[in-house]
Amino acid sequence: GELYCSLPTPRNVHFESINMKNVLHWSAPDGTGDGVLYKVKYSVYGVGKWIRKLECRNISRTWCDLSSETADYEEQYYASVKAFLHGMCSDWMETARFNPLTETKIDPPMVSVSSTEKSISVILTAPEKWKGSPEEESISLAQVYPGLQYNVSVLNKKTKKRWWFSVSNNTLVVPWLEPGTVYCVSAQTHVTTPLLSSAFSKEYCIATLKDKTA
Amino acid sequence: LANGSKIFHFGPCRISMSMNEIRAGFAAIKANIQGRDPIRTVSILSHPHSLHRIKSSEKCCIIHHLFNFYVDKVFKYCTTEDSYINRKISSIANSFLSIKRNLVQCHNQNMCKCGQESTEKFKQILTNYKGLNVTSAAMKSLGELDILLDWM
Repeated sequence: GELYCSLPTPRNVHFESINMKNVLHWSAPDGTGDGVLYKVKYSVYGVGKWIRKLECRNISRTWCDLSSETADYEEQYYASVKAFLHGMCSDWMETARFNPLTETKIDPPMVSVSSTEKSISVILTAPEKWKGSPEEESISLAQVYPGLQYNVSVLNKKTKKRWWFSVSNNTLVVPWLEPGTVYCVSAQTHVTTPLLSSAFSKEYCIATLKDKTA
Repeated sequence: LANGSKIFHFGPCRISMSMNEIRAGFAAIKANIQGRDPIRTVSILSHPHSLHRIKSSEKCCIIHHLFNFYVDKVFKYCTTEDSYINRKISSIANSFLSIKRNLVQCHNQNMCKCGQESTEKFKQILTNYKGLNVTSAAMKSLGELDILLDWM
């Protein structure tokens, strides 16, 4: 059984998730300096059995990667942290219920651009879901979120005129452009249900080819 | 489509839903409502099997049953001491009511066929619900709304 624990509990225990890389974070208990150690457990909602995370036993850092334990995004999870210092312990402090599907943050898409004299082509690739090892099969977030699409901005560097496009597949061709002009493209991943949006990618600039007849 | 509505296809049944409005409403109360549900060992909607196991041909039947379930057995038993939470719950309930009307039309036009799998699944959901007292069961069901929305 658990000892009586008088140490204050870890604070702000929560998941931080990007592309379903789900990492548990917390802050040290109030009023404790160095030397605090922690242990972590997690449970699947509806199953309820707490499972200890062995790699996060007696750790001094204040995070623990639970990505593989929470990889099934059709499930929801709880995690909990306990602190130890000078022989004293704290109570367990739990997260709110964590839903990877709706609570993960998503990255911008990968963008590649090419040009002709009067058009540019943009190829967009959705970010991949976190995976435990390079050997594992890659899962695109486009498979996880069937409603995934892209918002694309195209800027004429000379005139500063900007166009916006909403793209459902992964290719965009922008026609009727000026030859020999630099255009800069930036794109955002956008999911409609649940509502998720990434930041915009950095700008990818390319020049249209010079007009051969000129 | 009005207010960010989207057409959902459940077999032959096509329904326009403002899903993001419901999701935004739920997101605003999720932590509060789920915080009132201390029972981690049982899920009303996912126990013992996830909704994701249901064949798409029977999806309309289950959704029809579930919208009736939420309107008749969940929202009305989820009153809290917090008026903000109550307002959000009634807004979600109103959205469900209007969707339910569309589902009834699909059901009346025989577009929502119920097979053994969906019938068994809904029976299990009711068993899970009756396994708790009404208020706990209703609050837990409301806290699982994102499970339903994610599956839809």
